[in-house]
Amino acid sequence: MAGNSTLSMNEIRDSGVCIVALTGRVDSTNADDVRQRLTSLLAAEEKSIVVDLAGVPYLTSLGFRALLIFAREAERKATSVALCGMNGHVRDLFEMAGLLAMFTVHASRQDAIAKATAGE
Amino acid sequence: MRRTESGWMIRAVDIRIRNEIAELATVRDLLDKIGDELHVPAEALIRLQGALDEIVSNAIRYSSPDHSSGEILVRIMVRPGSVALEIVDDGIAFDPTGVPAPPPAARRPGPGGIGIHLVRHLVDSFDYQRIDGRNHTVLITNCAVGAAPESTGRNEQE
Repeated sequence: MAGNSTLSMNEIRDSGVCIVALTGRVDSTNADDVRQRLTSLLAAEEKSIVVDLAGVPYLTSLGFRALLIFAREAERKATSVALCGMNGHVRDLFEMAGLLAMFTVHASRQDAIAKATAGE
Repeated sequence: MRRTESGWMIRAVDIRIRNEIAELATVRDLLDKIGDELHVPAEALIRLQGALDEIVSNAIRYSSPDHSSGEILVRIMVRPGSVALEIVDDGIAFDPTGVPAPPPAARRPGPGGIGIHLVRHLVDSFDYQRIDGRNHTVLITNCAVGAAPESTGRNEQE
């Protein structure tokens, strides 16, 4: 199977960092939900947000669009944003889309939290 | 099974959906189901799902923006060495294979415009024809259908 039919988004807080774990594919049917959920965290004044993609088998272009809009909005609000946990295919997709350099990317959630708390 | 000009057809299934984004889930789930049943390799299925989403969502959003066209047909064709998807809509003529590659990310005017670019990377064959007032887009991924499930140890989500 190519991935879960439904997407779940869970928020966890660790050392002052808000981690949003996405589980399932991010496609045209749910990309707008992802954008809204992530953007709502900016309104809630989160200062450091990590989006954990370990549970995401693939994203489509609207998924990338949602992440880009969120990242630009976060930059305006001086909120730090990082991505982590990409599997090989998801990383390939970021490269194909030419977007890898547009995000701060860490291999694991632990790395992302350590870097966020160190202010990097 | 039936014999076709281009090899044994293991299965061919047509599905018609309304011209609405939410309907994409129906096609996506059917492709998953067929992929599971026929042991289409997981990586091939993921690539096809990504490409399918781009073409169908494009047809829904742009080929008939007022949703006046009723339906989109998706034909899933599974052969021993490939899986093909044919997407047919009766909207405005649009050849996705002719869309130029996007500029580098830093010079893009907005956050979109990469869907068709991704399709080119995701599938082995990407063709378009306008036939009798309809757009026909065909996506093919070459893969060994029916082989034992892969055990790559990679971080694949099931």
